[in-house]
Amino acid sequence: MRAKIPNMPSAAETDTIIRTPKPTDSVMNEMIMETAPSSTPVVIDGEEALRQIEHLRSDDLSLRISAARKLTTISAALGPDRTREELLPFLSDGVDDEDEVLEAIAASLGELIPFVGSTPEKNFSASLLGPLELLLAVEENTVREKAAESAIKVANSLNDEEYRSEFVGMIGRLATKEWFTARIAGCGLIPVAFGRMSNELQSSHLQYFANLCRDDAPMVRRIASRNLGALIYKVAEAMGPSSIADNGPISTTLLDLLELLAGGDQPDSVRLHTTENCVCFGNAMTLLKEKADPNSMDHNEESITTRSNALVKRILPLVVATIDDRSWRVRWTAASKFALVVKAFSSLNDSMDALVPAYEKLLQDPEAEVRTSATLNLAEVAKTGSKVYPVGWLNDDNMDCDDLDNRITIAERLVQRVMTLTEDDSENVRAALAMVATELAPLLGKDITISHLLPPMLLLLRDSTSEVRLNIISSLTLLNDVIGEELLCESLLPAILDLAEDGKWRIRMAVIERMPLLAKQLGKDFFNDKLLELCVGWLGDDISSIREAAAKNLKELTTLLGADWAIENLLPRVKAVMEHPSYLRRTNAVQGIVYMGSAMDVNTTQNEVLPILLEMACDTVPNVRFNVAKGLGVLGPSFNESVYESQITPILDLLNDDPDRDVRYFAGQTGDSLKGVFQKEQ
Amino acid sequence: MSSSIEGEPSLASSSQSSATEPSLALVPPTSTTAAPSSTNNAAPETSSSSSLDEQIERLKRCEYLKENEVKSLCLRAREILVDEGNVQRVDAPVTICGDIHGQFYDLVELFKVGGECPDKNYLFLGDFVDRGYYSVETFLLLLALKVRYPDRITLIRGNHESRQITQVYGFYDECLRKYGSVNVWRYCTEIFDYLSLSAIIEDKIFTVHGGLSPSINTLDQIRVIDRKQEVPHDGAMCDLMWSDPEEIDGWGLSPRGAGYLFGGDVVAMFNERNDLDLIARAHQLVMEGHRSMFNDALVTVWSAPNYCYRCGNVASILELDENLGKSFKIFDAAPNEARGVPVKNPPPDYFL
Repeated sequence: MRAKIPNMPSAAETDTIIRTPKPTDSVMNEMIMETAPSSTPVVIDGEEALRQIEHLRSDDLSLRISAARKLTTISAALGPDRTREELLPFLSDGVDDEDEVLEAIAASLGELIPFVGSTPEKNFSASLLGPLELLLAVEENTVREKAAESAIKVANSLNDEEYRSEFVGMIGRLATKEWFTARIAGCGLIPVAFGRMSNELQSSHLQYFANLCRDDAPMVRRIASRNLGALIYKVAEAMGPSSIADNGPISTTLLDLLELLAGGDQPDSVRLHTTENCVCFGNAMTLLKEKADPNSMDHNEESITTRSNALVKRILPLVVATIDDRSWRVRWTAASKFALVVKAFSSLNDSMDALVPAYEKLLQDPEAEVRTSATLNLAEVAKTGSKVYPVGWLNDDNMDCDDLDNRITIAERLVQRVMTLTEDDSENVRAALAMVATELAPLLGKDITISHLLPPMLLLLRDSTSEVRLNIISSLTLLNDVIGEELLCESLLPAILDLAEDGKWRIRMAVIERMPLLAKQLGKDFFNDKLLELCVGWLGDDISSIREAAAKNLKELTTLLGADWAIENLLPRVKAVMEHPSYLRRTNAVQGIVYMGSAMDVNTTQNEVLPILLEMACDTVPNVRFNVAKGLGVLGPSFNESVYESQITPILDLLNDDPDRDVRYFAGQTGDSLKGVFQKEQ
Repeated sequence: MSSSIEGEPSLASSSQSSATEPSLALVPPTSTTAAPSSTNNAAPETSSSSSLDEQIERLKRCEYLKENEVKSLCLRAREILVDEGNVQRVDAPVTICGDIHGQFYDLVELFKVGGECPDKNYLFLGDFVDRGYYSVETFLLLLALKVRYPDRITLIRGNHESRQITQVYGFYDECLRKYGSVNVWRYCTEIFDYLSLSAIIEDKIFTVHGGLSPSINTLDQIRVIDRKQEVPHDGAMCDLMWSDPEEIDGWGLSPRGAGYLFGGDVVAMFNERNDLDLIARAHQLVMEGHRSMFNDALVTVWSAPNYCYRCGNVASILELDENLGKSFKIFDAAPNEARGVPVKNPPPDYFL
């Protein structure tokens, strides 16, 4: 890295630093704008550039890193010719530097496109690919990642011919290099570039990719496997229906590779990507069907469907096999992506008869993580419109009769698993179930919901884990909508009361947030009877966030149940808190009363809320006083001018002379904003 | 949890630092890369409370400030801190917090449990940086709050607010990693020299990061220390930040290699002589968040839950009401979903 740059102007010889201002953004933009189109040298900050060049050769790592981030400054000073002839070769020589420097260089190279020059006949940005190719082969993957980003940026600035000869050529070299990290880079870039390759290049690069899938190094196969799905999609996109013809690349090569990489003899890190690759494949088939021109010959479209269905049938066993994989990571991946799988294959009618039983198996997996992940997908899988045979149907003698009347929806079949899941040993599984299960209700309709879904949901309301109960309470609305609320009230209350006193404050918080909803669903009487004391009690909670949420909640409740109700039921209780010995409570009470006031009509606020608030302006603790000032800023604008002048202004004046500067600040803020409001009216 | 000061590189002893960095001016020393001197020269002087409010909002989202913003923030903080005494007077009510150690999301949790500043008053007992992943954000948030609401929050110095210690325990490396240069570390460590050494609440509760010193009998002896220097290796200023209480009589050698161990009799005598009710300090991990010793004459408050992301301890803060009534609030580490970090970054569509 510290090699000499030939003919490079040497930086100032002295040790003292010349403090030139950094180019500001606008200078930078000017530089870029002027340099890009004309490629004539621009007068720029030469001193800064000299220093950066010096830093690039420094022994101090942090200097090299910061200089590497400023390559644009250097190139702008050197001009396009010397950037290509001197700077880029210098950077290429330095690929044995520390990873941090290389990462900075890799990122900066993508920014240099306007600085390497272009003439009408020739665009020189491809010259940047030289150092990038070396960086794409280094060991550290963050460097390669940045280099790939930059290389793609550079490639996008090339015309088709250059793209193919320079960029695609580079990918070909990477894919066949001896050192495996280069081949890994090749795996990632082939799908990116496939769309712009010529036919010849496409087939040669497909061959490279096939070789990478059979690479000796498992690391390479792992990355090939990760990119196979993307490649399949790109191939389908680029080649259209011909890609799945009998001699098309998907049918002949790529599906073989998919099967190869899903094979049990591969390491699990390679097999891990099978599910996703199958999803990509399914999406590619959907794409082909959508793209098929309905106006062209009908039989053509027909044959796309037939052919793709044949291929899907070939892939289906691979998906089903991941469910029984010996590695739980593979099964977990399958479980977490199963909704996507189902969606990707939903166009093929009878695929569900294979996939749904496979999914049910995931719900019974020995590993709790797999079951959790599968459970989270329950509603999404059920939403797929296709129908399946009921459990056990295919095992009978009914194999031959394909009578659609015997089929049921997926939701109807899966609801039978819900009861078992409520008894799962893992609380995470039950919590996941509580989160999604109610989404089945609209799919099932009222009768089946009452007979099959309601009983397990009531069990979840009494679950021993608070998260489970909280999740089910949060998602009950859907159930309510389908079956009406009466059925639930009785079971709901004990669950809420329990959660309201949970030891974890986030649970209590979640309950508070649901109070307005519950008040709405359950009605005023029920609320007064059972929940009012809770809501007020939270104002005295140990945790500040809970007290604040409780204060905010007063606003929602006032809006919902009316000002009269609030004055009768809430106000006396909040007033009591205002006499609490701790300023922590009193501050929250002030906030609470302001929230209430903001949800009432002006007269009520003026008569009931304002006097109490003004009284608090004489509190001994400044924090309470400046919250009064803030509160006046919230409520003030709604009052009329006489109230403003007779009641609010005197108090603000008082607070403006407060010994505490924060009280004065907030009183000033409120005073200014109210002045603005009332002067405008005049 | 003890950390030995011996064998740590003495890159910046007090004499050395004042030689190379004259008068603690917040100007980067000579080998700087970025030369940020005259860029954005409009911002620092005119930045009003509204731009500070905006910076606080950003810091609360765990986004760190730009280098020149840090510089101007530190300049403003210096103006405020230079006026504070070595025994800074604090009014009740106030909430006392112990070590934070760069655990930013746990600091956010602390504010959720105790209430936001400025609605609630806070006194932090030092050790804002090192060990955790977000020392930069943690210290800058506290410092920004200090600048915005000087009367609502008090920061005093811990043994980690030091050039030497931060080079070993993470803050230096974090600054270098996040900013690509050590300028921010320089600005911050210069501010460390201005932090007060202790605080006294309503003349009754004495708070300090570590503990007492055999060379200090009265608060006035603390008041005369020239604190604007790197934490020395011995002497009164060092002891205040390094000492620990212990069930012994009199004074003992500290296993930390700096400061002393002091017993109940020492505390009783100190409290008697200075007419104090209580000493509140931090500095030592307490699994249950707080611990009282010597018949409630001293209390340790620890505010870094699951310290170093693996100790499994709970944290606490000590709320003092306007009549000096005490109540501890215990809290756990922030749950993962409150940490704002995407669980998994989806890989880009090319490779990793």
